[in-house]
Amino acid sequence: MTKLILYGLEASPPVRTAKLTLAALGVPYEFVEVNTLAKENLSEAFLKKNPQHTVPTLEDDGHFIWDSHAISAYLVSKYGKNDNLYPKDLLQRAVVDQRLHFESGVVFANGLRSITKPLFASGLTTIPRERYDAIIEIYDFLETFLKGQDYIAGSQLTIADFSIISTLSSLEAFVDIDPAKYTRVTAWVKRLEQLPYYEEANAKGARTFTEIIKKTNFKFAS
Amino acid sequence: MGKVTLYGIDGSPPVRSVLLTLNALGLDFDYKIVNLPAKEQLKPEFLKMNPLHTVPTLDDNGFYLYDSHAINSYLVSKYGKDDSLYPKDLQKRAIVDQRLHYDSSVVTSTGTAITHPLFWENNSEIPQARIDALEGVYKNLNLFLESGDYLAGDSLTIADFHVTAAMTGFVVFLPVDASKYPKLAAWVQRIKELPYYEKANGSPSQQIIEFIKSKNFTIV
Repeated sequence: MTKLILYGLEASPPVRTAKLTLAALGVPYEFVEVNTLAKENLSEAFLKKNPQHTVPTLEDDGHFIWDSHAISAYLVSKYGKNDNLYPKDLLQRAVVDQRLHFESGVVFANGLRSITKPLFASGLTTIPRERYDAIIEIYDFLETFLKGQDYIAGSQLTIADFSIISTLSSLEAFVDIDPAKYTRVTAWVKRLEQLPYYEEANAKGARTFTEIIKKTNFKFAS
Repeated sequence: MGKVTLYGIDGSPPVRSVLLTLNALGLDFDYKIVNLPAKEQLKPEFLKMNPLHTVPTLDDNGFYLYDSHAINSYLVSKYGKDDSLYPKDLQKRAIVDQRLHYDSSVVTSTGTAITHPLFWENNSEIPQARIDALEGVYKNLNLFLESGDYLAGDSLTIADFHVTAAMTGFVVFLPVDASKYPKLAAWVQRIKELPYYEKANGSPSQQIIEFIKSKNFTIV
């Protein structure tokens, strides 16, 4: 029997992506906390598992995989009873892949990390206005993607929904999602909140993240 | 079945990663230039194909796809004679996927932090911290290459194409110190030896390299 271990911090959005995927697949695993805020990811033991020292990192029977997107794709391919969460059909998969990379670059790196890295590392609590604009642009694009469909990559739930909701629920700590302006995004968030595992896999950790952010008393420059 | 059409411009590293993949696959394609400074990507016909209005964008006989990583994975899966450029083996694929997402998030954002003010804000002073971040990327790439001659292991994959295209511009800002990053330096050379390298990346990148140099940037 394979033993799965997920290393990470619940507050971390990509860790929550992995948690959502594991929960959706109903696959048992052990969660081992690695507190990146306390630099536990820089220990020699962790560097042996993942030289890039990021979370989430997955251990599957002695093999180490990291990057939440690679982890989610791998988990569905290996443990999924079917391919619904990461379709094998080339056209459908291509759209999921595009959404996953959109999340990596536009949502996570440019939307969130560009704020949190200086905020946590150097205590920069006055955030440049362009970071606010970048988040609004993300909300705009998501609203566009959801036109005519219930999920971010099409008519069914996929790992792209997990990848984006985890970060979106953390971007909200900085910029509210106006329900009047973003009717489709708001409906999509509510749809995902109904998933039976959503509270444990994402909502709880997102609240922790938001508390951390609110404590910094950040403000956007005008 | 008609040819695929690639929309893009030579200067763009993600576009060149697709040119590398198309050439590696030996696939015939049409290449249509999209003039980004003239905002051709914001025209309604382009927005219909890609609401994110980015390049590269692919038209495969009416199926539109964007994001270079999704495009390259799709092209190999659909047109590859074998899966070597994007292995089906789950563990090998997981490593390629991780490298691809490292490119999407870290490589791209590190590069954009340097080029965006230079290209679009007429600011030719580059803070040292951004060059240090680029060196951090070189360090990680060198680490990845501990496991094999190519970024994701012993064989060439699309991960090599993405990073090569980005590195082509990066080295103008920060040459690869072979004494510090020997594996990275060796890999850069190895990729240059691919028979289609010059056509797909070498010569299309000339103009952007000249453009960067013409900015007379300084690191402050």
